[in-house]
Amino acid sequence: MKKIHDFDEVFDAQKMFRLVLTALSSPGKTVDIARFSGKMYGTRPAFLAVAMTLLDNEVSFDAGPDEALAGEIVSLTLAKRAPLDGADFIFVSGPADLRAAVENAKCGTLRDPHTSATIVMNIDDGRDAILRLSGPGIRDVIEIRTSPAVQAALELRDAQFYEYPQGIDFIFVSAAGGLFAVPRLTRREG
Amino acid sequence: MNKDYNFAFLDEGSKREIRRSILKAVAIPGYQVPFGSRELPIGRGWGTGGLQLTLSLIGPDDILKVIDQGSDESVNAVSIRKFVTMCTDVATTAKTGEATLIQTRHRVPEVPLRDDQILVLQVPLPEPLRLVEPREEVTKMMHAEKDYAPVWLLLYESLIRYKKITLAADYPVMAEDRYVMNPSPIPKFDNPKLHDAECLYLFGAGREKKIYAVPPHTKVVSLAFDDVPFERESFKGKRCRLCGSTDTYLDELFDADTGARVWQCSDTAYCKEVRARCV
Repeated sequence: MKKIHDFDEVFDAQKMFRLVLTALSSPGKTVDIARFSGKMYGTRPAFLAVAMTLLDNEVSFDAGPDEALAGEIVSLTLAKRAPLDGADFIFVSGPADLRAAVENAKCGTLRDPHTSATIVMNIDDGRDAILRLSGPGIRDVIEIRTSPAVQAALELRDAQFYEYPQGIDFIFVSAAGGLFAVPRLTRREG
Repeated sequence: MNKDYNFAFLDEGSKREIRRSILKAVAIPGYQVPFGSRELPIGRGWGTGGLQLTLSLIGPDDILKVIDQGSDESVNAVSIRKFVTMCTDVATTAKTGEATLIQTRHRVPEVPLRDDQILVLQVPLPEPLRLVEPREEVTKMMHAEKDYAPVWLLLYESLIRYKKITLAADYPVMAEDRYVMNPSPIPKFDNPKLHDAECLYLFGAGREKKIYAVPPHTKVVSLAFDDVPFERESFKGKRCRLCGSTDTYLDELFDADTGARVWQCSDTAYCKEVRARCV
C-alpha cells in the first residue's frame, strides 16, 4: 500500500509526543520536530505532524479559513471540525487569524479547566521579539528571542483576563521545524 | 517482544487520549484530569494508572526502571517491568541515573532526578478531599472554588487529638498555590522532592481514572500551619545497616527471635550504589 506520508503512527507519534511533552513541561524551550514534519506533506507539514500525534475522532478542531488544511486534518485523523468557540484544537496559520482564535477559544471552566482549547500556531523564524517568561517548568525566568507573532499571541491571551485554572495553552511551530509551548500558567515578565 | 500486541500494549487511540490528558495535566499542575482508564492484564489498584502512563510515554529509545516501595525486586515492580518489556522490548535498569522513564509505587528515588527523566507514580487514591467528602461531584466543586477548609480542619483535628499530624503518607500538598494535591502514598520524607524539581512527575490513578502532574520547577508546598511547621520522618541516630547512610528514608526491620530492630535503606538501588562505591 502506498501512503502519502511516511509518518509512523506508532513510533513517530510516540517520539513526537515526547517532544511536545518536553516543550510543554519546559515553556520557552524549543524542540526540533523537523524530522517528523519532514515526513508529512503539503504547505503545513508541522501542523499535520502535531495533528497526527494528538488528534483523532474524539476531539474537534478549527483550521480557520484554510480549507485545504482542514481537509487534510480530517482525512488523516478523522477529527471533527467545529466552530472556533467549540474546538479542542485551533490551528492558526498566520497573524491574521490570531485575534479571532484567542478571543473565541474555549478556556474551560473552573470545575473542568481541561475542557479548554489548545492553540497550535504557525510562526515565522523571526527573532525580533524578546520575551521573558516565568512559571511552572521554568527556573526563575527564561528569556527567549522569537517571532513578534508570539508576543502578539500572549498579549491577546493576557487581555482575556482568564481566571486560572481557566485559560488556553499555546503550541508554536515554525517552518524551520522548531516547536515550543506556552501553557496557561506561563507569565510574561517585565 | 510479543508481536500479538501493539507496541506498548495499548491501541494508538488509547495512547492518544492519555497523551492529551497528560498535556492538560502538565498545563494545570495538581489538577486531576479525568481519562478513560483502560483494561489491562493486571487488576485495578495494582498500578494500572501508572502503567497506562508508562505505556503511553515509552518508546524504543527509553530505558525503564520500575520500583515498588523503593525496591526493584518486589513482586509489583518485577511484574510490571516484565509486562512492559514483553510488549516493548525496551532496555531496563535498576540504576536510577541510567533510566529515562521510572515507574514507581510509594517512593521517590533518593538520587535527584534530571530534566531528561520522567517519574511516573502509581496512585491508589488521587483525591485529597476524599477523606472529608465522599461525593465526587462535591469535591470537583470544592477544587473549583478552592474550598480547602475541610482539609485544614482535618489536619487541625489531628493536631488537637494527637499533638501532631498523624498522616504518614499521602500527605497533601499545595501545587502552585492553587490545587491541593495528593502526592500518592509516598512518605512525608519524599514530599519536598516534588518542589522545584528538575524532572517531570506524572501521577496515574487507573481505578479512579485520573491523571495529574507536577512539571519541573513547580512550587509544591506540604500543608502546614504557621506555628506547626511541616515535618518529615526523622531517622536521627539511625543508619542503614548495609551501606551506613544516615540521610535516606529507612525501613525498620524487626527480628522476632532476638527482638532486635535494624534499619536499612528503602531505596535498594541507591543502597547498592553506595555500597559499590565503598568497596
